[in-house]
Amino acid sequence: MIEVLLTGIHSSIQDLGRFGMQNTGIPIGGAMDQAAMQMANSLLNNHKHSAVLEMSFKGPKLLFHQSTAIALAGADMNAKLNEKPINNFTAIKIKENDLLQFGNAHQGKRTYLAVAGGFKNPEILNSRSQYLGITPEATISKTKLIPIDKVDLNLKKGARLTLTESNETDTIPVYKGPEFYLLPKKAQDQLTKQVFTISNKNSRMAYVLVEKLLHELPSIWTAPLLPGTIQCTPDGTLAILMRDAQTTGGYPRVLQVSDEGINRLAQKSTKDQFQFELTSV
Amino acid sequence: MKHKMEKALPFRFFIIHPKVAVLEWDTEPNPRLLKLLIGFQKAILKEFKEVSQITQGYCSLMLYHNCEIHYINDYPNSLCLLFDSLSHYSFTKQKIWQIPVCYEESMAPDLKSLANQLNISTASLVREHTSASYQVNFIGFLPGFLYLSGLPKVLECRRKARPASRVDRGSIGIGGKQTGIYPIESPGGWHLIGKTPYPLFEPKKKNPCFAKAGDSIQFLSISKSDYLELEKQRAQGTLKIKPL
Repeated sequence: MIEVLLTGIHSSIQDLGRFGMQNTGIPIGGAMDQAAMQMANSLLNNHKHSAVLEMSFKGPKLLFHQSTAIALAGADMNAKLNEKPINNFTAIKIKENDLLQFGNAHQGKRTYLAVAGGFKNPEILNSRSQYLGITPEATISKTKLIPIDKVDLNLKKGARLTLTESNETDTIPVYKGPEFYLLPKKAQDQLTKQVFTISNKNSRMAYVLVEKLLHELPSIWTAPLLPGTIQCTPDGTLAILMRDAQTTGGYPRVLQVSDEGINRLAQKSTKDQFQFELTSV
Repeated sequence: MKHKMEKALPFRFFIIHPKVAVLEWDTEPNPRLLKLLIGFQKAILKEFKEVSQITQGYCSLMLYHNCEIHYINDYPNSLCLLFDSLSHYSFTKQKIWQIPVCYEESMAPDLKSLANQLNISTASLVREHTSASYQVNFIGFLPGFLYLSGLPKVLECRRKARPASRVDRGSIGIGGKQTGIYPIESPGGWHLIGKTPYPLFEPKKKNPCFAKAGDSIQFLSISKSDYLELEKQRAQGTLKIKPL
C-alpha cells in the first residue's frame, strides 16, 4: 500500500487504457506520454501495460507502507526519497515507511512513477486507468491508500537508462485528417507553417490552441474520433484531442497527430509552442 | 463513362493513421444506410482478421487495425467487394427498449420553457415525445450515450443559449433535431424534459451499455411515485432492463 499525504496538481493511475469498447462511447484513456510510462515500467521489468502513477505539473507526497522498488521517467520533478534527491530513469529500492515527495515539473510536464509489479487499484472494463464515470474518482485522493503489487525485486544491479533524445522537441508529426482535403491551399499551408501555442484550456481530454485557422469548412455529421484527432470549430479554434478524447464529434477533423506526437504533446502545456510536421501514412 | 472498367468506391476511404482508416458515405443519415453500416461492420470483423475494432458515426466508420494498413492486400477494393455482397450476410435482430420517464415538473427543469418556445402545451409535448419510436444510430460522446433519430418535427428546437454546467444522470434532453438520455452526470446544452431511473451505463458489467446501434427506443411516461420506487430498485442494484 502507498498512502497519499499530498495529491499534487493532477495525479492519476494510468495503464494503456481501455481498447475495444469505443463503440459504446468509452474513451481509450491511458497514460498521456506512453513512451515515458513504458520506460518506467521497463526499468522494473514490469509488463508494458502495468499501471503507473501519472503526475502532472506538480507531484504528490507519498508514504510507503511496504517495501518495493520504484522507477521514474518523464519530466524531472525534483523527486526526494526521505529528503534526499533521487534520479529519474533508474530503479531504486524502497523500504517500509519511506517518504517520497515531488516538486514542480521541469523539462516536461508529466512524470511517471512505476512500482515493482504495478499499481493494483481495481480493474474496471479491462483497465485500471482512472476516468470519472467509469472509475469512482478521476485522480488519487488525499489520505487514501493505493494498493500496489507485492513482488520481491532483487536490485543488486539497478537498471539505468540514458536518454539520447530530449523530449523538448518542438515539432509534432501529423497525418492528414479526413477533412484536410476540403481546406483551401492557404489554410493547409497555415497548418504546417504557423507556430502554434497551447492555451490554458488543456487537459487529459483535449488541448485548445491559441491561434485560429482561417477556413469555411461546413460542419459534418457526427463521426468517429480518436486520440490525436485535431478538430476545427466554425470560428477556427483548433482542439487537439488527447488520451481521454470522446469517441465521436461533429467538427471537421483536419489533422491526426502521430502516436509519437501525442507523447511529445503530453510533456507540453500552457504557452508552450510547436509546429506541425506533415508526414505520410 | 459507361465502358469504364474501374468501379468507383461506394464510400470515400482515408488512411488517417498507419493503423486507422475512415470510410465516409456522401449522404444524409437514413435508415437504409444505418442498416448497411451495421451489417458491414459485422461482415468486416468476420472477414478481416486485421481489423481489431470499428466505431461508427451517422455516415462513417472508423476501422482500427492490428497491423499497418499498407500490408493488407488490395485494400480498399476488397472492402468494396465485401460491401457489395452484404445481402449474403444476415443482420442481427434489433431489440426494442421501453424507457420509463417521469415528465413531472420537479424532474423536468426545462419542460415548461420548451413548451412555451414550441407554442404547445406541456401535455402535448409529452404526448409527442412518448408517441414516437426512436432508432439508436450509434453510441458516442459519453460512455453509453445513444445517438437517437426519429424526433417528431414539432419538437425540433434551438439548443439552450447557456448550457447547464451539471446535468443529472438519467436526464432526458431535446436539442436541435435530436433527443437523448444523459447516461452519466455531465455538462449539457439540451432542454431537460424528464428523467429516467433506468441504469444506462453500468461500468462493472461486461456489456456496460444495454443498447446497440439499430435498436429501437420508446419512452413511457411514469408517475413520480413509480420513478421513486424504480430509483430505489436501481440504487439496490435489482433493477434490470429487458427488451420488449
